[in-house]
Amino acid sequence: MPAPRTYRCEGLTLRKSTLGEADLLITFFTKEQGKVRAVAKGARRSTSKLVGHLEPLTQGRFSMSTGKSLDYINQVQIINSFSEIKSDLAGVTKGLYVAELVDGFGAEANANPALFNLAVDTLQAIQNSPESEWPLRFFEIHLLAVSGLMPELYQCVECNQDLSPGEHRFSPSLGGTLCSNCLPENTYIRPLSLPALKVLRLIHRGPIAELMPLNVDDHLAEELKSLTGGIVSYWLEREIRSKSFLDQMQRETRGQVYT
Amino acid sequence: MTNDPLPSAAPSLARLIQELNKLPGIGPKSAQRLAYYIIRLPKEEAFALADAVNAVKHNIIFCNGCQNLSDATPCSICADPRRNQDSLCVVEDPLDVLALERTRCFRGLYHVLHGAISPINGIGPDQLKLKELFARLSENDFSEMVIATNPTLEGEATAMYIRRHLPNNTIKVTHLARGLPVGGSLEYTDDMTLSRAFQGRQEL
Repeated sequence: MPAPRTYRCEGLTLRKSTLGEADLLITFFTKEQGKVRAVAKGARRSTSKLVGHLEPLTQGRFSMSTGKSLDYINQVQIINSFSEIKSDLAGVTKGLYVAELVDGFGAEANANPALFNLAVDTLQAIQNSPESEWPLRFFEIHLLAVSGLMPELYQCVECNQDLSPGEHRFSPSLGGTLCSNCLPENTYIRPLSLPALKVLRLIHRGPIAELMPLNVDDHLAEELKSLTGGIVSYWLEREIRSKSFLDQMQRETRGQVYT
Repeated sequence: MTNDPLPSAAPSLARLIQELNKLPGIGPKSAQRLAYYIIRLPKEEAFALADAVNAVKHNIIFCNGCQNLSDATPCSICADPRRNQDSLCVVEDPLDVLALERTRCFRGLYHVLHGAISPINGIGPDQLKLKELFARLSENDFSEMVIATNPTLEGEATAMYIRRHLPNNTIKVTHLARGLPVGGSLEYTDDMTLSRAFQGRQEL
């Protein structure tokens, strides 16, 4: 039986680029089919019915039709436009960081509803607390988990012994934590403090709401950010483009808070 | 094999096809069609095209004031004494200046950013003409700055960035109204546009 010419899906718009005279090429992550790249015909015209529905960080219900190489977007019904994220520079920066990682880790024609739900939940958490860093740490760790890349946090990846309290090391390429006795050669290894290990386990176990009231000092926050960002970047196999602007925004916000 | 546009073509023709193929939106087949069209053109028309490309690459510079593309600095708008020197309009692209000039609504000066902040594409503030904007705002005594970036996520982020980094707070900062396009329809308007149109409603 031939595939149907039209279909519907629920998706989150990740990025858009111009195509031809008045079209847009939209990349969005759907619950049903994973990442989809599709053409929105005439969407750059101000009177197009699609205008405003295809901005990045918009969750919607898409009516699609199949094309030869790319599919076409016929209609979009907005479910959540995350308007409060879009009216705050810190929120936009964090939202686009999430969108870049979903774009990087999501695969075409490969449904991953857990990743879709994670992205939507994270954007909701950013919308509720645009200044908090926890939604991003939660997203990074759970992104690895739903992609099958969750680092080992309970046993040494070299000797398989349970980790005991103390200073540990971490290796993204070996897939997790190393005990104080194991020191494999020719591998990038970084130190991992006990408080950081405990917070990583908490992030992995708990719902995001449990993390939000957690207060950590600047040193630990920086260690966690560098660690989770490093693991994600390692698996992405490229630099995260939106990270430098995100870091700049965070430095400026911190400067405002402490001066 | 794929790098050779047309193995049997004369070297000069193959080179033309290869160069045309580098243009955005021009694939190998379109490049071949354009190359054969140029060959069939009368000599003077083909040379006029080559001269135009040559002249644009030699003469076009950034205006020191507005950063727009121009063949002189200051450009004709910055050098015009009849323009309102107190008002500055910030736009993303040179084409936006043309669009605003067509309306004849604004008689002040412009500043062209040459893009918008787009972290996901690796475009940050340093890639735009923002340093030049802030320097211009420090050196000049503008009474109003109209931020006319596109009403997109990137355009709004750029506007928010400019607002946050203004060197002085005495300037009045405005941005273009958001709302319904002429010829549009309420039924198909997205929630954000409709709510902003409602907020910006005017007395009849």
